[in-house]
Amino acid sequence: MDNEVYSFALKIALNEIQNMCPDIKSTFIFKEDGEIVATDEKTPENTVIKVLNAFDRMFEKSDTIGDIEAITFENGKGRVSVSCISDLYFVTVTSEKTDMNYVNTVTRVLLPTVFKLLEKINPASLKNNTISSTGPETRPEFQVFDKNERSALGKEEHAAEEPREPAFEPETNPNLLPEPTASQFIVENIGGLLVPSDTVRIDKELILQWAEVCEGKKIEEVEIETFGGKTTRCKIKPIKDSKYEGKGIVQMPEKIQFTLEIKKGELVKLKPVVE
Amino acid sequence: MTRKKNIQEIATVTEPVIIGEATSENSLRRNLEEIKTYDGVIGYILRNSTTAAIDLKDPAKIVDYAILSSSAFDASKELSELFELGNTKNMLVEGKDAKALSVVIGENEISVFMEKNADHRKVLKRLNIS
Repeated sequence: MDNEVYSFALKIALNEIQNMCPDIKSTFIFKEDGEIVATDEKTPENTVIKVLNAFDRMFEKSDTIGDIEAITFENGKGRVSVSCISDLYFVTVTSEKTDMNYVNTVTRVLLPTVFKLLEKINPASLKNNTISSTGPETRPEFQVFDKNERSALGKEEHAAEEPREPAFEPETNPNLLPEPTASQFIVENIGGLLVPSDTVRIDKELILQWAEVCEGKKIEEVEIETFGGKTTRCKIKPIKDSKYEGKGIVQMPEKIQFTLEIKKGELVKLKPVVE
Repeated sequence: MTRKKNIQEIATVTEPVIIGEATSENSLRRNLEEIKTYDGVIGYILRNSTTAAIDLKDPAKIVDYAILSSSAFDASKELSELFELGNTKNMLVEGKDAKALSVVIGENEISVFMEKNADHRKVLKRLNIS
């Protein structure tokens, strides 16, 4: 049984939970290091990434109280619950009317059962980083969307409901990448005294991949395009901080963000400049 | 040797203090002082637009607790915008060793840190009737 099947099994479990509890707005599973394990079919991937970004600093400081076992946010119109099950974090977003006892009963029975079942089928699978179609191996591929599928941020929610395989094909099938394609990235801040203001940082692997597609030409610049239509050209360097690697992130100095009128967490398209 | 109470307080009041608000904040502080005596309560952080008060048993962890508290409030605001969940009422971050209960009361953001087995419902109840 391969990883996609595990991801599929978990996705079905999440969808079933939503079917049983229609008041649930969103469910997904992630690992402590920020890898997305599975999402329900209603939740767009960029939404999950934004949630994980929101949790990022909290998880960084979680050693103050010991590793996080559960988080509950109770707001006026709903609630977000995060619970740790088998070293994975399960998130549910519910409306104010939701019967949380029922939701908890369902999730605390169904998910551990699915996890146990998957562990019995292949004990290594849940511990590995390759459990899902949005796991560490495939998450960088999230960047390489087909332009027609996700040409605008607003269309992403619909795209999330479509099978994800087509979005992953470009990296597995080089024939689909005849020339460097524009890729989508989540903007992350980069700071420090010695940070050049004209340089962004992206995954080293992607730079190499672009170079390969361009028959070994060194890629030194990229064109950044926002969904608002603003563009700029700047230098690229590989990401230094391993926690941002393989997550579809572009680290961008504030000056460039200001020029493009964007901020941390927003999506941009990057295209290598071949000269 | 008796140790001094570890209270760090920063106050930058630029406008005249309104008596009503001051009274409300004072009563909140009284409640927090009472809560601090509850079993397992480690301390609290109280913040609003003009003041911040931190009272924790372990001063070495003040910064860590303060960052955890502010990041919880920030996360709550981001989640609220993302899923249209409305205003933050309270949040509970449970760790393996301790937990943090954060509550918004008016303009005040309060985080109470306590041991894992402490009764956070009792704390919440006391805060909500302040």
